Amino acid sequence: MIWRQALIVGTFSLLAVLIEVTLLSRLGIPGATPDLVVVTVVAIALAMGPVQGAVAGFTAGVLLDLAPPGDTLLGVNAVVYVAIGFIAGIAVDPRDRTVPIMMGMTGLATGAAVLLTSGLDTMLGSDRVDWEQVPMLALTSAVYGVILAPGLILLVASVVRKATPEVLVT
Amino acid sequence: MFSRRTRILLAVLVVASLTFVILDLRGGEGPFATARTVVSNTLGGLERVAATVFSPITGAGSWWSSMRDQAGQIDTLTADNDALRSELTTLTADKARVAALDGLLRVASVGQYRFVPGEVIAVGPVQDFSWTVTIDAGRNDGIEQDMSVINGAGLVGRVLKTTANTSTVVLIVDQGSAVGGRVAGTNEIGVVSGTGSQDELEFELLDPMADVRVGDAIITFGSKSGRPYAPGLPIGKVVEVKGTSGQLTRVARVQPFADMSQLSVLGVVTKPPREDPRDSVLPNADNLSIVPTPAPLGGSDTATESTPAATEESAATSDASRAPEEETAAVPVESGSP
Repeated sequence: MIWRQALIVGTFSLLAVLIEVTLLSRLGIPGATPDLVVVTVVAIALAMGPVQGAVAGFTAGVLLDLAPPGDTLLGVNAVVYVAIGFIAGIAVDPRDRTVPIMMGMTGLATGAAVLLTSGLDTMLGSDRVDWEQVPMLALTSAVYGVILAPGLILLVASVVRKATPEVLVT
Repeated sequence: MFSRRTRILLAVLVVASLTFVILDLRGGEGPFATARTVVSNTLGGLERVAATVFSPITGAGSWWSSMRDQAGQIDTLTADNDALRSELTTLTADKARVAALDGLLRVASVGQYRFVPGEVIAVGPVQDFSWTVTIDAGRNDGIEQDMSVINGAGLVGRVLKTTANTSTVVLIVDQGSAVGGRVAGTNEIGVVSGTGSQDELEFELLDPMADVRVGDAIITFGSKSGRPYAPGLPIGKVVEVKGTSGQLTRVARVQPFADMSQLSVLGVVTKPPREDPRDSVLPNADNLSIVPTPAPLGGSDTATESTPAATEESAATSDASRAPEEETAAVPVESGSP
């Protein structure tokens, strides 16, 4: 059963990364690129739990850094997404989760991802981060996160329900 | 609070991530770099597949940009109309500038440069602050690190790294990008650096007394043996000159010729021209096509080692034989931008 969980986590992470760099970032949408990867990590954490969320965050973060044209420091996205995946899994008691709460959590996660990766990059000596743009990018990223959340959370939950019902967090 | 297993797993993931960061900061070769290349190669292959799947969506162009463009199109056209009316009166002066720009545009595509075409298949997320794109041509197509990348309008960037079938291109607007530039028609040189904004470059002139004007075109100065930047490629035009003549530094704001938000088919310059870039800036009427064509001076391909005098001579004769009537058009260009 652990292999089936790994397969779900791996497949969703890979697809999210591929769709983000080959489709979403090319649409020329204003502001940040819709952060499908973070939304996917949050959706997995909500459906399967904090541990799976953290593993998904690690996998997706490393893949995003390795996938061409990624040119950021390898591991920065991973460590941020591990934190996001884990915290998303424990933040709200499963019984108290409603759709608006889950959408809000996703928005917070995508916004925080921009702030945390920018902060970490700057701390590690990258001079690329333009802090004048960061607030706007974090805000737009949060908005896109909220928009992407319901569909993706439902999709991941339904796949988990079929494939590995024993881990589904209700 | 959490089980022992959970805590250990979390620690392992965080430590693994930070290890990657440290290994990446350290750089260099080794098993880590090899593994990284293998994974990047695989992901590059998958991206090619995904890009094909999504081509109906992305192929229709950047829908948001085109929607926004249409809204502003009426205003633009009205303004253009007025501008054209007034331009009719000052046609002579502008004609020379148009011819100069025209010539620059042609330089990018004519046989002076050998290039391998590649289509953009992936773009780095905006929030990464790195202006990089992936194209679907790589080592197997003869692309190597630090080759110049152009499109129909001008210089786009350089090849940062390659996999078997994809290459990552860092655009000239990236914050880390610096290109040696020269004001077309003069000897003023400087450094064109990216600002992180897609339609703005900064041109810092070496000579603080340099005479640079709004509208001047900037072309690449050229690096040693054409890597990473081949000489004579059009970079952009000056839209604003900051500071007055004689100040310690002289900086100009430059708008790149290539539209960085609408990149589709790019060309990677695999072979820079042989002769002085100055010559290639002159317009050649015969080569209007933007299709990759082999060098017209096919016979002198091996003449890379020849003396400057010999190459200048061959360039001069070929210019004369190809387009004698263009010489008249070329004269105002040279005199118009001293």
